Amino acid sequence: MNVTICVGSSCHLKGSPKVIKRLEYLIAQHHLEDQIELSGSFCMDQCSLGSSGVCVQVDHVVHSVTPSTVDSFFQEYILGGLAS
Amino acid sequence: MNVVEAVYKSLNKKNEELCGDKVEIVRTDDSMIMILSDGLGSGVKANILSTLSSKIIRTMLKEGASIDDAVSTIASTLPVCSVRKLAYSTFSILQIYDDGHAHLTEFDNPTCFCLRRGKLLELPFEEREVAGKIIRESDFTVAQGDYYVLVSDGVIYAGVGETLNFGWTWDNVAQYLERESTKGYSAYRMANSLASACNDLYMGLPGDDTTVAVAKIIPARRVHILASPPLHKEDDERFVKEFMADSDVRIICGGTSGNLVSRVLGKPLRTSVKYTDPSLPPTAVIDGIDLVTEGVLTLNRTLDILRECRKHEGELHDLAILDADNGAAKIAKILIEDCTHLTLYIGQAINPAHQNPDLPFDLSIKYRLLEELADLVRQFGKDVTCHYY
Repeated sequence: MNVTICVGSSCHLKGSPKVIKRLEYLIAQHHLEDQIELSGSFCMDQCSLGSSGVCVQVDHVVHSVTPSTVDSFFQEYILGGLAS
Repeated sequence: MNVVEAVYKSLNKKNEELCGDKVEIVRTDDSMIMILSDGLGSGVKANILSTLSSKIIRTMLKEGASIDDAVSTIASTLPVCSVRKLAYSTFSILQIYDDGHAHLTEFDNPTCFCLRRGKLLELPFEEREVAGKIIRESDFTVAQGDYYVLVSDGVIYAGVGETLNFGWTWDNVAQYLERESTKGYSAYRMANSLASACNDLYMGLPGDDTTVAVAKIIPARRVHILASPPLHKEDDERFVKEFMADSDVRIICGGTSGNLVSRVLGKPLRTSVKYTDPSLPPTAVIDGIDLVTEGVLTLNRTLDILRECRKHEGELHDLAILDADNGAAKIAKILIEDCTHLTLYIGQAINPAHQNPDLPFDLSIKYRLLEELADLVRQFGKDVTCHYY
């Protein structure tokens, strides 16, 4: 599974570093390093998606994630996506 | 074509606010002139003497007067010290022409260190008298990679009576420079390295004003920076094509611009998630581009670094801010140490993502940042051109 996090100027200010750090931590906790590839991207042109969150793309779908919603996002879309 | 990169660094004598040494670097239509003058005594008096000497020489030579005229003008106009009944200031004048010919004139300063391919080069000198002063002169031809290092006597006496009985001495400084000159340093780094070594020998408290002025002969280095997409999408291809042409170093500042170049060139853009510095977005890679960074936050930091270096022009400073592992420091380092000609390719499209008043930082100022960048890089003596699309 490919998970791409936007590190453009705007998302950076909304917390990409925190989101990336938390995702790396959660992936390590669940021992999913072999199944998930985390990568970065400059602006994905999805800024209108959510003015408060960072753009995170999971298998072609872009989500808006804030540092406080990373855990639920991980549960629902990453663990959920792997299970399906 | 060869270019002369010229930089100087001074250490003030301990407890002095002013330096008694003065360096002037000036470019004429067909040459670069570097003048180092050391005034009698220290503090205000020395500063006035050396400033007068170097400014008079600089102005006269720039306007085409001969060295003899400049020297006799100094001899007859310098104010006389009431204590010593002397009007005195040493000087070295190095003039390097675009065709590679060079002329060195020295009066009572330590002999210029010339380094070619890691070895000290001895210059043939001739002595003669001008206005009662015995000056030494040399004519020679420079080669790419040469370093020419002018110093005040504070360098060769560094550490005298403290860490070293007789000070550092000319021969030991020459050995040090031979070793340093094999490291491929820019003039900027070389000047900083020598000044820093002197400061260490003086244990941070220089016993005399200490100045180094380094001229390095380098090939022209054309740096191209592309920032922001063009106003009209149909200009994308022309924009990228012109940015790619005739450059030695290519930098892209901006995520959207990175994506644009990647698309036009048909080469993938790979962004890392490795935050070497958590306060700046990471850099990316496109085959054929030397550096791809995020835009406005990175540029803003680059400007901070350049301003900091500019503020310490002529002073020893820690080069760690240039060597830091982040996109902004990398740009600043290239601009200061590996650039003679900078061309900015500025697109004028407005980024909708940046028009968000909720963000803690005003992102819509990129245009202004680029203008300031151009201005700052010019102050470092580099040739800067801006193209707008």
